[in-house]
Amino acid sequence: MKSIFIFAVILALPVVALAGGSGDPTWPCIQPKQPHLSVGQLWSGPPPDAAVEILAQRADIAALAQVLEQRRLPMEEAEVQIAAFAKEASAQELTALFVAVFDRIDAYRTRIMAGVERYAEKQLTLSAQIEARRAEMARLSAALDPDFDKMDAEEERLDWDVRIFTDRQAQLTYVCETPVILEQRAFALGRAIAAHLP
Amino acid sequence: MRLAALSLVLLAHPALANKVYITNEKGNDITVLESETLEVIATFPAGNRPRGITISPDGKELYVCASDDDTVRVFETETYTETHTLPSGPDPELFVLHPSGNPLYIANEDDNLVTIVDVQSHRMLAEVPVGVEPEGMAISPDGAFVVNTSETTNMAHFIDTATSQIVANVLVDQRPRYAQFTSDGKLLFVTAEIGGTVAVIDVATKEVVHKIGFEIPGVLPEAIQPVGLKITQDGSRIFVALGPANRVAVIDGTTFEVLDYLLVGQRVWQLAFTPDESLLFTTNGNSNDVSVIDVAAGEVIRSVPVGQQPWGIVVGPD
Repeated sequence: MKSIFIFAVILALPVVALAGGSGDPTWPCIQPKQPHLSVGQLWSGPPPDAAVEILAQRADIAALAQVLEQRRLPMEEAEVQIAAFAKEASAQELTALFVAVFDRIDAYRTRIMAGVERYAEKQLTLSAQIEARRAEMARLSAALDPDFDKMDAEEERLDWDVRIFTDRQAQLTYVCETPVILEQRAFALGRAIAAHLP
Repeated sequence: MRLAALSLVLLAHPALANKVYITNEKGNDITVLESETLEVIATFPAGNRPRGITISPDGKELYVCASDDDTVRVFETETYTETHTLPSGPDPELFVLHPSGNPLYIANEDDNLVTIVDVQSHRMLAEVPVGVEPEGMAISPDGAFVVNTSETTNMAHFIDTATSQIVANVLVDQRPRYAQFTSDGKLLFVTAEIGGTVAVIDVATKEVVHKIGFEIPGVLPEAIQPVGLKITQDGSRIFVALGPANRVAVIDGTTFEVLDYLLVGQRVWQLAFTPDESLLFTTNGNSNDVSVIDVAAGEVIRSVPVGQQPWGIVVGPD
């Protein structure tokens, strides 16, 4: 029985190694990469149609969405503004407000994620550079007649690279949290708007 | 006199209230809700990264997987004080208690074992080697089988509780997270987080007889990640938490057809019924709240803010 089991485990492993986890070296975050949000994740109201998409561009709706999107506006105040808008608004207009908020936050989130990827690429480059400098240090110190000035200069460059690399690595937690924070904002706004649906 | 006082109390509380316990994975504490008023009545520390949570059948002891402490912490439900710990092996995540209240079967994600612990003597009884990254745990209502799901091996392992040996391995879809038997013990449901499905396994034949898939208009397929699952006692309804889709699927227990997708909170993880099954609670890891579903109406009636990254949930018995 046991041998059959082990065999099955071995069979199952390679498939997972290919398909599972975040094997993507350009995505450094522990959070799974989700390039776009979708409306259905955040909105319990009627699915937006073409007319709603157009309505979302109406000046007053677009302007309000721009205000709501700002993270410095506390949610309590955002709720007050949504309530004021909802007094006169139809279900279609409320859905349009959500669409306007969603489009803005999703686009911003996508830009942030591209930034995270560039960040990861720079770290990869820097890590390769550190490796190269270490190899160079090893080569210099192994020479029969070591050039100590050259070694000091190289060591200083290596120290800087390592320091930049570790500082950036430490900031990664915050960088990776940003898409999540944006998603939370979009969800909270969606819930607040949907609360006024008839 | 005493009888009169008692009837007064009963009048004041027409339905019995239950305590609902929620582990907050990042907040490192437990939030206690009251099922009648839906108010937070207490919060207490629970060690590092508390996740899986369960309660003794008499409702007196609370068991909590403190994943980053590599231990199971035991709390008194009256006083919320920690009484002792149980040996769990490294990184315990989920566990299941025998219907009799003893022993406890714990999945150890890091070393590919299921640890069996006596909750009275606080001793480890056995360790069962399973697949890679064990996660979900379920026990058959008669206590004959424990099922463990392994995230990387993609299997449900049936462990005979009498011999602590694996008697069958059933292949399911990618990254199985949670398992539950129907109350008649005939079917086992296993959710697959990356596979995006729920496997329905015939317990007698140990074969997958049906696979439930999900499709939500306006939600990208990769955001649909089935995790927690609960079945009503009569087997008529199945509820599945769909992770970052922020929805709970309501499924017909006979046809396995999805009837509805309820929008709850963000990153919905685990589910728990009140004993009368009138309410279903969901933990929402990213919106830091618990959604309350009216089971009969099939509607979300409230969301209650709790701690940081709520994960596990259990409701005290009547």
